[in-house]
Amino acid sequence: MVIVKRKELSLMERLFLPEIVRALSHSFRAIFQPKITRQYPEEGLPTNEVTRGQPRLTLLEDNETLACVSCGLCEVACPAYAITIDGQETDRFIEREPERFEIDMLRCILCGFCEEACPKDAIFMSDELELADFTRAALVYDIDKLKRPKAALQKRIDYFYKVNDRWRKSSSTS
Amino acid sequence: MPDSTTLLVWLLKAGLIYGGMLGVAAGMTLAERKVSAWIQWRIGPNRVGPFGTLQPIADGIKFFFKEEVVPRDANPVLFRLAPMLAAVPAMLTVAVIPFAGDISIAGVQTTLSIADIDMSALYVVAIGGLGVYGVILGGWSSNSKYSLLGGLRASAQMVSYELSMILAILSIVVMSGSLDLREIVAGQAGAIWQWNIWSQPLAFVLFLVATFAETNRHPFDFAECEPELVGGFHTEYSSMKFALFFLGEYCAMFVMASLTTTFFLGGSEVPFWADAPWFVQLGAFAAKTSLFLFLFLLVRWTLPRFRFDQLMAIGWKVMLPLALANVFLTGALASLGVYGS
Repeated sequence: MVIVKRKELSLMERLFLPEIVRALSHSFRAIFQPKITRQYPEEGLPTNEVTRGQPRLTLLEDNETLACVSCGLCEVACPAYAITIDGQETDRFIEREPERFEIDMLRCILCGFCEEACPKDAIFMSDELELADFTRAALVYDIDKLKRPKAALQKRIDYFYKVNDRWRKSSSTS
Repeated sequence: MPDSTTLLVWLLKAGLIYGGMLGVAAGMTLAERKVSAWIQWRIGPNRVGPFGTLQPIADGIKFFFKEEVVPRDANPVLFRLAPMLAAVPAMLTVAVIPFAGDISIAGVQTTLSIADIDMSALYVVAIGGLGVYGVILGGWSSNSKYSLLGGLRASAQMVSYELSMILAILSIVVMSGSLDLREIVAGQAGAIWQWNIWSQPLAFVLFLVATFAETNRHPFDFAECEPELVGGFHTEYSSMKFALFFLGEYCAMFVMASLTTTFFLGGSEVPFWADAPWFVQLGAFAAKTSLFLFLFLLVRWTLPRFRFDQLMAIGWKVMLPLALANVFLTGALASLGVYGS
């Protein structure tokens, strides 16, 4: 059994008023504290390379062709079945490219499995977090909405390699 | 029958004072949100107009466009009457508060208060006592258990604290020998230490605490008491009827702050400047009143709500005996001629 001993109140405390005045002065001083509000739509959310935002497709250095070869590993890895890929042949030296690459952002759970599954550094989690539109169809992103120049994702790519260095080295066959 | 110029001046005064009071009430809704935000290290409403100053107007427009719901089992007449009864007494009380001394409008010499009643302290108490009807009728006519409980609690609370408040006023009346608010103010003219707050500190504290209970403000807001009673007496109200309750509450706050100023802080008297022009007096009155209005806000966002039995215990076992003793002491001193005349 727990016996809670009540604190003996002194006369000043039992009078209420001095304590109330003390509390009031406390909240009065709080008025002059610096404000912690973030003015959200104007002031963005703080992000860095650790932020696991929405997945984006990287472009190669020419900023035109996708790094993706439509192998379908991310499609398989995706636990939410958010990714749909149709591949096609191309004249490029890597021979294949996606004809259709869609991520249903309403299904995407931002887990980052696609990023880990990708053997070609073609998909990375960006720091883009905002997701809003008026129709569901508009939130199924196609290649045009997903592709990003590599420079925009470079910080995330560097970070990705840094944290994954150990297992990459140990599992490396070379 | 006064001539037409005097009549017009009276109408102008009435319009200005009521308009000013409604403006203060609207401003208080914004101030409440702003101060609460500052105390919690937030910024508060800042989207409508510069620094959110047009927020009350936006709120008002929103209230007008809300759907009005009258519950099926509610008493249709009283349900509609209650918000008016809640708002009107507060607005009536403002009529006798002397906001400034003599003023001359269009050649008519008059005072800056709507009505000059020589028993205005009595009038204030009488009309202020009507405020409870709006709350209890609103609670009862909604035919909802939460509303009814809120209304019952509010009426019990307002009746008990009214006693202490009236007794606090009584000691001021005994001291200044007049029921006229203007004479009570005139009795505090001169230096700062002529204010009643120094000669009647106990009455001041009692009156201040009672005003919080009378206006149903924190820490005595048992009429609403969200965690226990959903919304209290106005649970079933919506749209402009709901807004009227709040208008009444904020007007009552303004009136109570004005009365505290009038009774204890020398009203519109400017210290050390006996014949100040009317606008300086009005400014002094506004400054003193806004001090108490700010106190209302500060207390609301500082103190937790009392328990209902604590409220009743404080009202009947602490405040009432103290107020009675204070009246007795003041009366004894007055009969010994301490306060002159």
